[in-house]
Amino acid sequence: MNDQRKGEHAEPTTHFGFKDVPESQKAKKVAEVFHSVAAKYDLMNDVLSGGMHRLWKRFTIELSGVRSGNRVLDIAGGTGDLAAKFSRLVGPTGQVVLADINESMLKVGRDRLLDRGVAGNIEFVQADAEKLPFPDNHFDCVTIAFGLRNVTHKDEAIRSMLRVLKPGGRLLVLEFSKPTNKLMSKAYDAYSFAFMPLAGKLITNDSESYRYLAESIRMHPDQETLKAMMVDAGFDRVTYHNMTSGIVAVHRGIKP
Amino acid sequence: MLLAGLLASVEHGLNRILRMDSTALPRLAALEGKVIAIDCVQPALQLYILPDADGLMLAAHWEGEADCTLRAPAGSLVQLALAKDKSAVLHSPQVQLHGDSAVLLDLVAVLQDLELDWEYELSRWLGPVPTAMLAGHLRLRARWTRQGLARFSQNLSEYLAEESRTLVGRREAEAAFSELDTVKIDIERLEARIRRLARSLDTSDNA
Repeated sequence: MNDQRKGEHAEPTTHFGFKDVPESQKAKKVAEVFHSVAAKYDLMNDVLSGGMHRLWKRFTIELSGVRSGNRVLDIAGGTGDLAAKFSRLVGPTGQVVLADINESMLKVGRDRLLDRGVAGNIEFVQADAEKLPFPDNHFDCVTIAFGLRNVTHKDEAIRSMLRVLKPGGRLLVLEFSKPTNKLMSKAYDAYSFAFMPLAGKLITNDSESYRYLAESIRMHPDQETLKAMMVDAGFDRVTYHNMTSGIVAVHRGIKP
Repeated sequence: MLLAGLLASVEHGLNRILRMDSTALPRLAALEGKVIAIDCVQPALQLYILPDADGLMLAAHWEGEADCTLRAPAGSLVQLALAKDKSAVLHSPQVQLHGDSAVLLDLVAVLQDLELDWEYELSRWLGPVPTAMLAGHLRLRARWTRQGLARFSQNLSEYLAEESRTLVGRREAEAAFSELDTVKIDIERLEARIRRLARSLDTSDNA
């Protein structure tokens, strides 16, 4: 829905932060960003969110209703925060699949989880959210935390998630969104465009990746638009919860 | 979010404590997959507890169904946590228990049986030799303090009862209570005798 066509034969473009890039280039550029930040991803998350990302993920897990024996797919699972919790919840009879398109992030996530003793019921798969390599009606719950905004064709990705969910299964999308308070919105803008690239420069020596992060958040659909996209894809009972004045929202939809 | 932050901190601390007991985590593993809902009525607050082999997970919301729900006012919940006789509290009218109560009782038993190995935890930070020295010193101090307190309490009661005569001594009080009991029983006997005599006088008048 963010795609633009520049002429009949030209390749469709999509946004990469505030820039327009050919669709075929976006995945590569996003991959470069995450290759660059993978090693210090957790540290940067803590610094930039003041540790709040842990509480946002915690609330997402509470909404998941995942139980012992369930099969869970964590897309764009990164360093495995959600997957580790799901692994505890599903127990030895369940299964968790941590999927990420980015090899570096997946490697960091796998090493981190193995170091923490999270193993046995967890698998690591390098996969594109738009073309999930899993059978239909396979998972009880699918989550994507802070990943959807980096996907080139969000509609396709949501439809792919619907396909792999079992009927009655739920999709949870945790993502940055639009602040509901004007004052908060202004403060958040100042923070995102001034502090985030500076922190990126100081900690990872890479301000560009964090400038992209701030820009990609602004280009991501707001709460109502994402809800409409999930309804269009075929999800039922789609609701969302704003957190921290709408800076982050978690959308939930059930497969009919 | 504030409550979620608070629960996250409590969960972290609680799991550290649970790891200090060698039997707690294997016992909690037996409860893996169970969800216990604590529904505090006054003040209105809900807490979900999910035990597993890594400890306890606490949540303010839970979408799935709870295996056991305990609904009670805060006072009864505190009483339940502290009381030795849990079943008496559970049978009180303010407390409602739905679902599989064995799950809750098992969890309570695990928490009640905690025997924390402080020395092991300390040794991870200080090393074995300083920990042994510190623990020996602390044990000695604790014993000395306990004995000191017991002696002080005994001396104080003896002083108050025997020397200053501010309080009545235990044996003196027991003797006085015993005399009072005897007098009470004697009076009851006398009352009964008077009643019997009064009844016999009534019957002789009527004849």
